Amino acid sequence: MAKALKINPRDNVAVLLEDIRSGETVDVATGAEVICIQARQEIAFGHKIALANLDADQPIIKYGEEIGRARTAIGAGDWIHLHNLYCRRGHEDRAE
Amino acid sequence: MLTFQGYRRPQGLPGARNAVAVIPSVFCANTVARRIAEHVAGAIAFCHPVGCSQVGLDLELTTRGLKGLGKHPNFYGVVVVGLGCERFQARELAESITAAGKPVEMLVIQEEGDTLRAIEKGVTFAGRMAEEASRQTREEFPLSEFSLGLKCGGTDATSGLAANPALGWVTDRICEAGGRAIFTEVTELIGAEQILARRAVNPKVASQILSTIGSMEKRLSAATASAEIRHRSALISPGNEDGGVTSVVEKALGGIYKAGTGPISGGVGYGEYPEGPGLYLLDCVGHDGEAVTGLVASGCQAVVFTTGRGTPTGFPGVPVIKITGNRATYERMRFNLDFNAGGIVEGTPIAEVGAELLAKVLRIGSGEPSRAELLGHDELFCITRI
Repeated sequence: MAKALKINPRDNVAVLLEDIRSGETVDVATGAEVICIQARQEIAFGHKIALANLDADQPIIKYGEEIGRARTAIGAGDWIHLHNLYCRRGHEDRAE
Repeated sequence: MLTFQGYRRPQGLPGARNAVAVIPSVFCANTVARRIAEHVAGAIAFCHPVGCSQVGLDLELTTRGLKGLGKHPNFYGVVVVGLGCERFQARELAESITAAGKPVEMLVIQEEGDTLRAIEKGVTFAGRMAEEASRQTREEFPLSEFSLGLKCGGTDATSGLAANPALGWVTDRICEAGGRAIFTEVTELIGAEQILARRAVNPKVASQILSTIGSMEKRLSAATASAEIRHRSALISPGNEDGGVTSVVEKALGGIYKAGTGPISGGVGYGEYPEGPGLYLLDCVGHDGEAVTGLVASGCQAVVFTTGRGTPTGFPGVPVIKITGNRATYERMRFNLDFNAGGIVEGTPIAEVGAELLAKVLRIGSGEPSRAELLGHDELFCITRI
């Protein structure tokens, strides 16, 4: 069984189906094929892993839609969450 | 052709159940209503805390909610119980249900004399209706006569991966067959309004979707303007963030999966029924009870409720079908949950799990009890307020 799932072909992130360790190789099911990516940090079940290198302000795509933008440059295999994704909606309480 | 077994009604969609509803027009009539229902097998009392000293939109929402409930297809007939001095009169509620072609009886406590006389009369009414209802048998109806409510709660990472996509598949099949599906939880849609507006059947519906979600955002903003908590930050809970949800858009997208991929036919106001077939957006908040009550008050014969963390709740007289995409939750809360969609996470195609879910929904719509019904869960009846 794959350890992560790329939900939509347009996505540049995958969702972890189990907890993984830093440096672990993650099999990502994409619907068509299984791709491998090395995790650069520890990532928990349900969280997102970057599937490609992303520049700052580049859109982060999940479910085929933009869920936010990269706060900093993100490398393939990085954990994506509040520390490196910003969204113009919903977090005005957090200083940019 | 997919079908289900329902109870024919004089007007509108068939019922998935055949109960007698005892509805107080004001909370002062709750005890009388409850005792009437306790005496009659097949009767359900809908006790609530509203109907007194309300004004404006708040009172309007109460009247629309109770009227929408009263004409619901799952009820054979309704006994309306009033006190007498309330602004929303029992007569207005009874007349609206009569107009929907349903058997209705009404009693007003201050006119009957006292609690005992009111209960005696109510038991006579409800007992006669229950007897009539028992003579009715189920008939076969096509999927186009089904109206399904869509809800999620206790969301985790599997909701957007498995449970909501499986439900979305069911939604698409019902709408393609000419049936109805209704989604709501407008507070949870903030951030995805443009994505939803693109699915509208025409520009008028697109602007209705944008204004419904925009108004809800303004309402949340006004409600928290003077508080320390900034309104939008509250839309993602710490539990959502721990589970890997990072932005409001991500949360909204995971939720709207349950509304499938088809066009959105229109919006419905609280207590209103859709005018025709298709997928509709109901203007109601995300609170589990208020949202399910809103779906019922818009005529949904059953609700499918997706849950990652698991929840036991139910609605009296209307099946609330619990599905989870989390295998561990399914094992832990097995007696509360009707369906496990977790196979999708392990690689089973969405269409295969969706087809099993649709079959389950139609079996429950045809009389098989949902787990919430088996366990007597009835806490979801909750009239929305402003």
